[in-house]
Amino acid sequence: MTIRTYWQLDPAAEHSRSEPADRPRWQPVIRDVRNASINRYDHYAQIARGAAITGFDGLFIPHRDAHDDSQIIAAVVARSTPRLALIPEFPASVGSAVYAAKQAVSFQRLAHVRLGWAIAPDVDAKARARGGDHVPDEELVARTEEFLTVARGVHGRHPFTFKGRFFEVERGGFEEPLNRVAFPKVFLRGNSEEAVALSARQADVHLFDAAPIDALRHAIEALDRQALSAGRSVEFGLLLSIAARESEAEAREVGGPNLTGSYDSVAGRLAELAAIGIRHFVLSASPSFEEVYRIGQFVLPRFRAATAPARAA
Amino acid sequence: MSIDFYWRLPTHGCHSTIRRGSYDRGDWSPIGPYNQSPGLGREGRDDGFRYIDHLAEIAKAAEISGFVGGLIPSFPNTDDPWVISPLLARETKTFRFMIAFQPGFLNPVQAARLSASLQRATGGRTVYNIITGGGGPAQLWWGDSFEHDDRYGRTTEFLDVLKGVWKGGDFSYKGRFYQVEDGGLSPLLAKEKIPEIWFSGSSDAALKSAAKHADYYLSWLEPFDALTDKFARVKERTAALGRQQKCAVRLDLVARATEEEAWRDVRIGFENVTDETRARWRGQATDSVGAARQAALRPTEAKRYDELIVGPNLWGGFNLLRGGPALGIVGNYEQCAAKLDELIGRGADAFILAGTPHLEEAYRIGEEVLPLLGRSASALQQAAE
Repeated sequence: MTIRTYWQLDPAAEHSRSEPADRPRWQPVIRDVRNASINRYDHYAQIARGAAITGFDGLFIPHRDAHDDSQIIAAVVARSTPRLALIPEFPASVGSAVYAAKQAVSFQRLAHVRLGWAIAPDVDAKARARGGDHVPDEELVARTEEFLTVARGVHGRHPFTFKGRFFEVERGGFEEPLNRVAFPKVFLRGNSEEAVALSARQADVHLFDAAPIDALRHAIEALDRQALSAGRSVEFGLLLSIAARESEAEAREVGGPNLTGSYDSVAGRLAELAAIGIRHFVLSASPSFEEVYRIGQFVLPRFRAATAPARAA
Repeated sequence: MSIDFYWRLPTHGCHSTIRRGSYDRGDWSPIGPYNQSPGLGREGRDDGFRYIDHLAEIAKAAEISGFVGGLIPSFPNTDDPWVISPLLARETKTFRFMIAFQPGFLNPVQAARLSASLQRATGGRTVYNIITGGGGPAQLWWGDSFEHDDRYGRTTEFLDVLKGVWKGGDFSYKGRFYQVEDGGLSPLLAKEKIPEIWFSGSSDAALKSAAKHADYYLSWLEPFDALTDKFARVKERTAALGRQQKCAVRLDLVARATEEEAWRDVRIGFENVTDETRARWRGQATDSVGAARQAALRPTEAKRYDELIVGPNLWGGFNLLRGGPALGIVGNYEQCAAKLDELIGRGADAFILAGTPHLEEAYRIGEEVLPLLGRSASALQQAAE
C-alpha cells in the first residue's frame, strides 16, 4: 500500500512574509523594485513548488478564517505544480453541496484529477453565527453527512434526486463530459468518538491529530472496525508538526512540534507510524518554505528507505 | 468616463467556425478526427493539455487585443468560473475575471472570503456577474427550490451581507434568508476592493434588486428602441435611490472585411442548423423574462436566414448557431463599429462581446473593430457625460 506525504501550506503561518503592506521600508538610497503584484501568492506558489520539487505527493491547505481561502490558493498554485495533489480544507457551511461538487469536478477536469476535499472541523456556535451559519450543534454531523451525500450523489448519478433536512435536489447530476472524472478523496479529521464514527461512514481518509502511538493504534482499530461494519474501508492519516535537525540536540532547541529529533530519528518515528497503518502523513514545520526543502531533502529519503518493504507490499 | 469592452470565455466548449454547430473544441462533443480536444486528442493518447489550456489562450488573446477582461458563464454543463479564474490568475496580467454565479449557492460570508482572496491573488481583477433568473427544472437541478421573486429577494440579501461583512467591523444582519451575528472580514481581507457588480434580469423584481446593488445593469442585445427604454428605466429607478447605474450590453458579432462575407457566414451557419437544434431551443423551459423576450423573435420558425434580419446589420438567429442571445450584429468592420457607437449613444456604458471562434475572433475584433470605435458624435458625447 502506498504511503503519501503532504506538506501543510498554512495561509496563516508566517503571515507577514511576502505581504506587500508588511515589507520593511528600505532606506531611500536603496532601490526597491517590488510592486504590489509581487505578493503573498508568489510565496504560496514557491512553497507549493518546493513541495513538488522535494518529492512530496501533495499539499494540505488548512482553512483559516482570517486568511486567504484554501480553495483559491489551491487553484492559483495548481498550474505551476503539475503533479502535486491539492487538498484544500473548507467548512461544510460553504453553501450548496451541488455547487461545491460542480466546482470540484471542474478542478478535477482542468487540473488533472488531483483535488482532495478536507472538511474543516465545525467551530463553536458563536463563530458559526459570525460566518452566517445557524445550524445548531446537534445537527452539524448530519449537515456534513448530507453535504457529502449530495455532492457524491450529483457526481455519481444522473438523474439524482434527494430531499434532506439541509439540501434538496430534483433530477440533478452531472452529465458528459463532467461526469468522467473521479470525485475528490474526502479527508475528515479529529480524534473524538463522534469524528471517528462520522469518518467510518463518510471519509476516504481519516486524519488523526498527533497522539501517543498506542492511542493511535487503538483509534485506528476502532475506526477500522466501525468502517468494516458499515461495509466501507477508510485509510488513516496523521497531522504532524516536525522539527528535524542534523543532531538531536539541535532539534531539542526547537520547542513545540509533535515530533522532534535528528533526521534519522524523525524518519524512524514516521516509519513506526507507517507500521501501525498510517498511510497519509500531513507534515508541517516553521518556517514553511525553508523547512519543506529541509524535510523533503533530508527526512523523506530516509523515511522512504525505512518503509521500502511496506511500499513494495 | 470610459467604456469598458469585455470578451467572453466559452465554458462549454467552442465551435471552430460560426458555420457549423458542432462543439469541436473541447471535450463536449464526441471526438472526431478534426476535433481540437485538449487531453483527449491524437489517436486517443493523452496529450497533457486540458480545456483550461484553450481558455488560457483565449484569455491571453483578449488581453493582448485590448479587452479589459472576459465574462465566464456558468450553466449546469459548463466548467466553473470560481475554479477557472484562480487557475488562470498567474498567467494573465490585466485580464479581469467576470465570474457568473447564482448567489443563492454560496454562503455570503464565505463568498466574501473567497472573493477577497481572489482579489489578493489577481491584484483586484475579480468582477461579479450576478445571475438570479433561469428557473424552472434547471433551478431544481442546482438544488434550489425558491420561487422567481424570492430568488431576487435572496440576491438582494446576499449582497447586503457580502457588502456588510466586507466593511470589516462587527456586522449583524437579520434577513429572511441570511442571518449574521458580529461577522466581518479580517483586516487583511477587508482592505481589498469589493468586486464590481454586474447584474442581469429583466423582471420587476430584478430591476428592484439591481437598483440597490448593481454597478452595471447588463442586458442581452434587444431591438435598439426597446433597449434604450430599458436603460432609461433602469437609470431612472437607480437615480431615485440616489445612486448611479451604468448599463452594459452583451452581444455577438460577425465582423468581416466585407459585409458580403459576414452575411455569407451567417447564411451557411443558418443552413447547417439541424432540426434537433431547432427543437431543443423551441422546447426550452424557463421562467426567465429576458429569455422570453428573446424567444419572441421566433428564430426557430424561420425558413431562410434573411427572414431574421430585423434591421440594418442586425440578425436575430444567433441562438440557432450557439447557446445565448438571439440578436447580434453582422457586417463589415466599419458597420459593426457604427452599431456599437450607436449603442454607446443610446446609453451603453460597457460591452461584453463575443464571436465564434472565441480565440481567433478576440484578435479580429480587437484589431479591426475596437480601433474604429468612439468616433461618432453621439458616442463622443455620451462618453463625455
